[in-house]
Amino acid sequence: MTGALLADIVIGGLTTGGIYALVALGLNLQYGLMRVLNVAHGEFLMLGAYLTFSLHTGWGVPPLLTLLVTTPAAFAAGVALHRLLYARVLAAGDTGGLEARSLLLSFGLLFVLQNGALLIWSADLKGYSYLATPVRLFGTVFPANRMVAAGVALALSLAFYAYLRRSLAGKAVRALMQEPDGARLVGIDVTRLHARCFGAGVAMSAATGSLVSMLFELTPFMGLPYTVTALVVVILGGLGNVLGSLAGALLLGLVETAAVYAAASDIRVIASYAVLSLILILRPSGLFGR
Amino acid sequence: MRRRDFLKTAAAGATTVPMWHGRARAQAKALRIGYTLSATGPYAVGAGITQAPNYTLWQEQVNARGGLAVKGEGKRPVEFLTLDDRSEIETAVRFYEKLADDDKVDLMLPPWGSAMNFAIAPVASKHGYPLIGPTAISAKFKELAIPYFYTMLVQPEGQMKAFGAYLKDLKGQGKIGKVAVAYVNDLFGIELNSATGPALKEAGVEVVDTKSYPLGVKDLSPLLKSFKAAGADAFIGLTYPPDNILVTAQAKEVDWNPAVFITAVGTAFPFYRDRFKGAEGVTGIAGWNPKVKFPGAREYYDAHVKKHQKEPDRWASAFAYASLQILERCVGEVGLDRPKIKAMLDATEFQTVAGPIKFVKGENVSTPGMVGQWQKGEFELVWPKSVATGSPVVPKPAWA
Repeated sequence: MTGALLADIVIGGLTTGGIYALVALGLNLQYGLMRVLNVAHGEFLMLGAYLTFSLHTGWGVPPLLTLLVTTPAAFAAGVALHRLLYARVLAAGDTGGLEARSLLLSFGLLFVLQNGALLIWSADLKGYSYLATPVRLFGTVFPANRMVAAGVALALSLAFYAYLRRSLAGKAVRALMQEPDGARLVGIDVTRLHARCFGAGVAMSAATGSLVSMLFELTPFMGLPYTVTALVVVILGGLGNVLGSLAGALLLGLVETAAVYAAASDIRVIASYAVLSLILILRPSGLFGR
Repeated sequence: MRRRDFLKTAAAGATTVPMWHGRARAQAKALRIGYTLSATGPYAVGAGITQAPNYTLWQEQVNARGGLAVKGEGKRPVEFLTLDDRSEIETAVRFYEKLADDDKVDLMLPPWGSAMNFAIAPVASKHGYPLIGPTAISAKFKELAIPYFYTMLVQPEGQMKAFGAYLKDLKGQGKIGKVAVAYVNDLFGIELNSATGPALKEAGVEVVDTKSYPLGVKDLSPLLKSFKAAGADAFIGLTYPPDNILVTAQAKEVDWNPAVFITAVGTAFPFYRDRFKGAEGVTGIAGWNPKVKFPGAREYYDAHVKKHQKEPDRWASAFAYASLQILERCVGEVGLDRPKIKAMLDATEFQTVAGPIKFVKGENVSTPGMVGQWQKGEFELVWPKSVATGSPVVPKPAWA
């Protein structure tokens, strides 16, 4: 293996994995923490992407700066959605049917958001060029925009991880993940925390969308594949495990990229599911699951 | 909604048209044409660019002329019965059954895309509805010989032979030597790719690498890097949108600018040109541009821009419109008797905005396979020379 090929695989894999990390982290906050299986997760990514597209092409705002708009807006929308819809649905009935109820609700949301975007932005492909320049590294070449997008995504993921480790709110979240009943007992306001975590999950999805809008053409239907990838990463890394999501995302990115270089583009999806199956056989609760 | 419209029309007819003027009443009865087009899902992009605008443009024009002239019945206003197949093939099949059995429409129009047409063609044929598909390209249509189905576009073999001849000519001038091929792993890509090998062999051009990629691909840079490393100076991408956009963006991002850069579906979209600051020098499948000398071509272009505030694409749009011109002529000459329409389709050479069109065994044999190249904002036809509106620019200029 030459140095250039190694660089292709490692750097290519980390850029793919960096994007996966942020979108998966958002889903993990919702699914890992609250057992809310939000299949509309990718739709928030789509909305973030369109928002960035509109701000960039309409007002000339640099795509990275739009994160300052899309992320807080998505957070607020997420908190509101949780209060208006999810909290009620989750409060009704026993916790056993919780996943099924949240699944139904988010499926409805998925259709509403997709068709809303269709009305606003139409089905035509939308996209723009940003940092579409080659970067030379280790005897090979990489697209600058992908490296920037993945770098920002990874930085945001790590910052969030540090926040969870260091802050009091982060401690409460981790307590809730580890021992929901115990967390209530020591006086953590679960409803409020749930709303905020849901909002943070939506915000991460939208932020990922802002970043990938620099790379791909947008359509109202672009979200679902990201939801699926995020789910794979969350399961790979272990439910509710933030570090697991990060490691799972990078691993998945590396494996997929290695498969593409070793065999063909068609192998990418097969490789990612092969890794998932292998991990589930060897460690049924995920890489870092307990 | 439809029923209410119908009742309104009927009521208006009953009150305003005197009973003794029977002929005028018959004229008021709308001619109903049914079809599905993907308004949602992945096919919505192509359907919304190539087909839907032409259907509605034609309808508006026909109704402005007082309706569609039907032999023996005079003019009848055209009413569309449009359904969204959601880009789901099984949904489209169900809807075409519905259009035939429940709605009993007078005529049908085809949906968008090869796979869709492939699935619904037997249904329409079973019910005896002639369909002229403007966005269907597959060698299988010829093999199956579906009696009531007609294809407008040049099919895979003819199209790839055109590319082969184009590249052979360039090789003769010493401008290219090594070709690399990428194709999308679905019916369209696989069929075009299987036609590519023989076509390039016949042209005597060396193929250094052929790679496939899946639908929905997110990164084509590994593939492009390996083509670049293999020293390819001509690229043929048998692509679909949005991957034709991805492969173009990434070629620039990995600093690869081969002398000839070809992408397939979607390259002739004005959107593609605008997305890449003119896309100067990019080559693709072509069939038409507003400079062609066919009667009505320029008027069609202007009417399309005026109605939709967007240009028709430079491949299949004009053929979508032409398919309606053909249908209009048939109905004018033989009425709504569908076997008679089929007989006329089989026997006639039609003059359209996309040139003369003659069907032999359901395939348009009049239009040659064409190669187009974006040059200063227009998708110039650069091959074959008999139809060319411009001459090839090779090597292509640097990426904008």
